Amino acid sequence: MMKKINHKEILKIKKYKNISLTGINKKLAINIYTFMQRLRICEESIEKEYHPADQMRCPVHFCTGEEAVPAALNNILKSTDYLFSHHRSHGYYLAKEAPMKRLFAELYGKVTGANSGIAGSQDISFPKNNFFSGAILSGATAIALGTAMSLEMKKKDQRVVVAGFGDAATDEGIFWESLNYASLKKLPIIFVCENNNYSTFSPQSKRQSGKGIAERAKVFGVNSEAIFGNDACLVYRKLKSAISMARLGKGPFLLETFTYRYSGHVGPLTDEFVGYRSKKEILFWKNNCPIKLLEEILIKKKYLSKDEIKTIKTKIFNEIEESFNFAKKSDFPSMRQLDNLNLSNKTPVADKMLEEYEELNFNEDQAVIQPKGY
Amino acid sequence: MSKYKKITYAEAINQAMHQAMDLSEDVITMGQLIDYKPGIFGTTVGLVEKFGDKRVRDFPVAESLMTSAGIGAAVAGQRVILVHIRIDFMMYALDAIVNWLSLWRFKSNNESNVPLVIRAIVGRGWGQGPQHSKSFHSWFAHLPGIKVAMPSTAFDAKGLLLESVFGEDPAIIIEHRSLFNLKDHVPIKPYRVKYGKAIVRKKGKDVTLVAIGCLVIDALKAAKNLELQGINVEIIDPRTLTPLDIEAIKKSVTKTKRLVVADPGWHSFGAASEIITLVSEDSSIKMSSNPIRITLPDSHTPMSQPLENNYYIKEEDIVLAIKKSLK
Repeated sequence: MMKKINHKEILKIKKYKNISLTGINKKLAINIYTFMQRLRICEESIEKEYHPADQMRCPVHFCTGEEAVPAALNNILKSTDYLFSHHRSHGYYLAKEAPMKRLFAELYGKVTGANSGIAGSQDISFPKNNFFSGAILSGATAIALGTAMSLEMKKKDQRVVVAGFGDAATDEGIFWESLNYASLKKLPIIFVCENNNYSTFSPQSKRQSGKGIAERAKVFGVNSEAIFGNDACLVYRKLKSAISMARLGKGPFLLETFTYRYSGHVGPLTDEFVGYRSKKEILFWKNNCPIKLLEEILIKKKYLSKDEIKTIKTKIFNEIEESFNFAKKSDFPSMRQLDNLNLSNKTPVADKMLEEYEELNFNEDQAVIQPKGY
Repeated sequence: MSKYKKITYAEAINQAMHQAMDLSEDVITMGQLIDYKPGIFGTTVGLVEKFGDKRVRDFPVAESLMTSAGIGAAVAGQRVILVHIRIDFMMYALDAIVNWLSLWRFKSNNESNVPLVIRAIVGRGWGQGPQHSKSFHSWFAHLPGIKVAMPSTAFDAKGLLLESVFGEDPAIIIEHRSLFNLKDHVPIKPYRVKYGKAIVRKKGKDVTLVAIGCLVIDALKAAKNLELQGINVEIIDPRTLTPLDIEAIKKSVTKTKRLVVADPGWHSFGAASEIITLVSEDSSIKMSSNPIRITLPDSHTPMSQPLENNYYIKEEDIVLAIKKSLK
């Protein structure tokens, strides 16, 4: 489609027409579609409920419009793989098969939440499924690198790590340190950038020099590609191949997907009053919604009928309703709960392995010799 | 045959690292230059030859990434020893430590933990100047979610390192380089020194002297000197600041009714202040004189030798403080 892909060039194409189901069978296509619908409806339902009820009292960074990457990952990753996410985390959380009702309960700060209401939306994790997130940009990506290091050492069942982040995370120096080391040691890690062009309000062109993120990755010896990120099938194919290669020990890959968030930076309210993005731009991205693009081809190919889509949505709405009920009915965590959360002060392994010895008298009649030079 | 051997502080750390890596294949270690012959001041000698370069990793000069990578490896099941050759350089890793490591367990609601220990070395002495000499133990003790140890002897250095490696909470062990050549009786086998257990280094009845880290040896020397003058000092070495064995300190102060704290950190808002506060807040403890802090001034470290000598705490400073407390 485009020789050079960036946010400015993308706007010129008006309508994306290259979507194809190559390498994606009917079942997989429907799975990707259903995941995106589920995520979209989940986010829109939370947006609706957030104000004025004000019962979800934590910052939420909605990911409406950015469904393609999580949908692809959901259909590629195994339960033993790791996924590290940024603060716009709900898609990744669901991608790793963490339960929706416990996401809702987490937002309500309830004891049944994914983290018992301790973390909230931007810090949510589901350790049992190897899903982690955090709000400080690039921090989770650097941690993901260490997990990849560990997996590479064990070479156990060819597991991989995926680090999801936005374009703003690549403003951070530690991001590039991570790429350098991943490439140096050929680690099984996939870097997925959801480039939505904005660090809160500030566009990439105002913050970053040089060529795009994918191009810069190549300088570190990391194979990379930049693609139109609202083509969920394309995103799937690229991630599938990168992850397969990483499983075989071929090293890291960076996929830069150009996409867009429909919501404001944080919270359910629009932040368009700031005037940081144009109506034309928003319209383009809404016309090229990842769900709409896939739906069009699914209908054309007769993989799904309008009625079947209705059934899919009804099922999702039911799940959402159940999740809200579950969250609202759950209790708040008990007030004593902070006591052992910071330090466990338990040492089961050391207890088994190590004995105590008596400390003999230390002889103070010795000179303290300052090491010279270094 | 004795179960103990007299070895230096650096040798004791080296032994702990070898034994930890022998005891469990999960243990890995990372740090700049740790796989070269001299090791990090001798503490990492022989590791790479024995355990290979996957478990003993030299790392780019990217302290922040190294610390983050250590967290990620620990999350995936490793037990990680990070060596920061200078704690000042480790400040690049503050995000990793403060925003991720310290609260990983917390925000996962106890479902995920990070068994990672940072060996942070303080330069001190030989004109190391303001960027190679800071200690920061009070900063890290202020932070929830991280254990902080200040081993003053080879025995504690080895036992606390092994305890940290096989513990379940993240830990920072602050090692003052001036201690690296000091010898002590160290058990040959692996063993543990538990966190939150102070040790009475010298029994006494007149004044309680709490000495932290590298100041323990100076405190012992000062006490010996004072003993000749008829002053009987009790020395408590807390060994770890988080958790802090405040009960051991209170027990001693209840007996002596006097408290002096020697802290190798800056004067304001430090470990000494915290210890004095905790004792003062206990209304059951009656004191005969006001507590005294012996600390570094609220200043960075000068390079020039006479200035540097003057800057650091010496035996004489401790003697003077004890005498003042007895007035």
